Amino acid sequence: MNLNMNSVETLVAQIHGLSGSISDINQLHSLLKQSEDLFQSESTRLAPLLTELDPFMHSLGYLYILDACTSAPISKEQASELVLSIARFINLCAAEQIRLAPDKFTSVCKRFKDQVMLLEDPMQGVAPMLTAIRKLQLSSEHLTTLHPDFLLFCLLAKCYKPGLSILEDDIFDVDQPRDFFLYCYYGGMICIGQKKFSKALELLHNVVTAPMSILNAIVVEAYKKYILVSLIHVGQFSISFPKYTSSVAQRNLKNFSQPYLELANSYGAGKISELELCVQAHNEKFEFDKNLGLVKQVVSCMYKRNIQRLTQTYLTLSLQDIANTVQLNSAKEAEMHVLQMIQDGEIYATINQKDGMVRFLEDPEQYKTCEMIERIDSSIQRIMMLSRKLTDMDEQLSCDPLYLAKVSL
Amino acid sequence: MDFSALNDALASKSYDQIADICDTLMLQVSSQGVVFQDEWPYAIHLLGHIYISDINSARFLWKRIPLAVKERQPEVVAAWNIGQKLWTRDYAGVHEAIREFNWSPEVQGIVASFSELYTKKMFELLVSAYSTISTQDTALFLGLNADDAANYTLQRGWTLDPSSQMLTVKKQAVATEQKLDSSKLQRLTEYVFNLEH
Repeated sequence: MNLNMNSVETLVAQIHGLSGSISDINQLHSLLKQSEDLFQSESTRLAPLLTELDPFMHSLGYLYILDACTSAPISKEQASELVLSIARFINLCAAEQIRLAPDKFTSVCKRFKDQVMLLEDPMQGVAPMLTAIRKLQLSSEHLTTLHPDFLLFCLLAKCYKPGLSILEDDIFDVDQPRDFFLYCYYGGMICIGQKKFSKALELLHNVVTAPMSILNAIVVEAYKKYILVSLIHVGQFSISFPKYTSSVAQRNLKNFSQPYLELANSYGAGKISELELCVQAHNEKFEFDKNLGLVKQVVSCMYKRNIQRLTQTYLTLSLQDIANTVQLNSAKEAEMHVLQMIQDGEIYATINQKDGMVRFLEDPEQYKTCEMIERIDSSIQRIMMLSRKLTDMDEQLSCDPLYLAKVSL
Repeated sequence: MDFSALNDALASKSYDQIADICDTLMLQVSSQGVVFQDEWPYAIHLLGHIYISDINSARFLWKRIPLAVKERQPEVVAAWNIGQKLWTRDYAGVHEAIREFNWSPEVQGIVASFSELYTKKMFELLVSAYSTISTQDTALFLGLNADDAANYTLQRGWTLDPSSQMLTVKKQAVATEQKLDSSKLQRLTEYVFNLEH
């Protein structure tokens, strides 16, 4: 055994020696890969060696030893120390070095995640996990296995804003399909929490329409939220799936979400009293699925939709008439609803308290301002970039041997 | 815990940065395993979110605050009270919530600044949403008594009908920029080029 520890000491010396230039690091990398078994056999005695290494200059070597140390079972007392030391490593390590061994880095981070969950302090993991993602990513378009773990921390710790910053990146490269499902599902939940319903709908849509050969629980739950967010944001829900949805999803999703489809039907009918009856009938199911909050938002949206529908028929309407049509209790309540909608930009109207009337106005947007031109410009730029990406992917695919084999038959 | 960035922002009255500074610091301190909850300036943190109208974040912060802190620090509860009134859109209630608590010196600056900002926003809302409105309701929205409210609005061009106590709103003309410059021409050329290829 001593012989082994001597070998380990030698390796540490080599880590010190070979962490200079890129060619040295590559040489070190091969050495470390060859010494995996050695590390594993000495895993319980490696911890003190970490003090001899610098997490920034010797990131690769540090990573290998840290990975071996943490592969052994950890006691509860050691957990908080371990979490702190991994967090420190993540903050200090050199991105170029750890990118040479992405699987090792990922497994160290996964263990970090497990320990943080055991300690029941998810907030502790938010900042380090975000740093880890940025160091592991080859570009901001790359989805790593750590993305969903980070979003999970954000959700559990109720720190939604950092999650949003990651969600703003467009993803083009995905390592594992499961990561993608979880990323979009958790991402959807974070957007719902911050009331960014448009983005939430996009993410949940991606889960529901992703390619899959069998159904999984993530898709089922995502579909339920997708129905609710669709009702809140768009005011309607269409049960027909887009053409690119997998057949397994198209055939089976509806079976798992009956109460939600009934709610959507009831919403479409437009009567608040019926909608509330429907909510009551399925209350337990919504609560069990932890979707009751969203369901309540659907109900309050119904008032908004009904008021919006009035603008298509009337130029002016009395507050009392609005209250009656939309099934509110009083003209004052109707006034408050209209005021809130004006505040949120959901309606263009002026309230005349003297006569108790509301006058509905046209959207004042003339699409001639500099600001609007900037918006249209940036949208066009984005579409041009996407179009170029699509052309590139098409070219790459037409050279892919698998594709050529299928096509030539 | 290093609160220098927060103190600087408070001293320079950069209240719109408080929320970000507090959020970043909280995540940093938490990742170092420090137990910070007892010393954390939750009232200022909440007010930071309220100041930039991010009531969602204020809500989630409130949910994270330990029960012990809520019981021991009435100022934190009072700060959340403002947030709650904003959340439920109890427009008049916000003014009450600001007024009914005796704020500590550290917090007075940001509360006073928010109160002014909120009154201004309420006035702008009234201008955009109403053509006529009673002095009573105006007073509630602006957090002033009926006479002060009437004066506030009259100074800004509204007119008052004393018999019905109805104020007529003066709409503001919206000035929009419509000048184009030569860089737009460059961009149009690019688009056409892209479409042709």
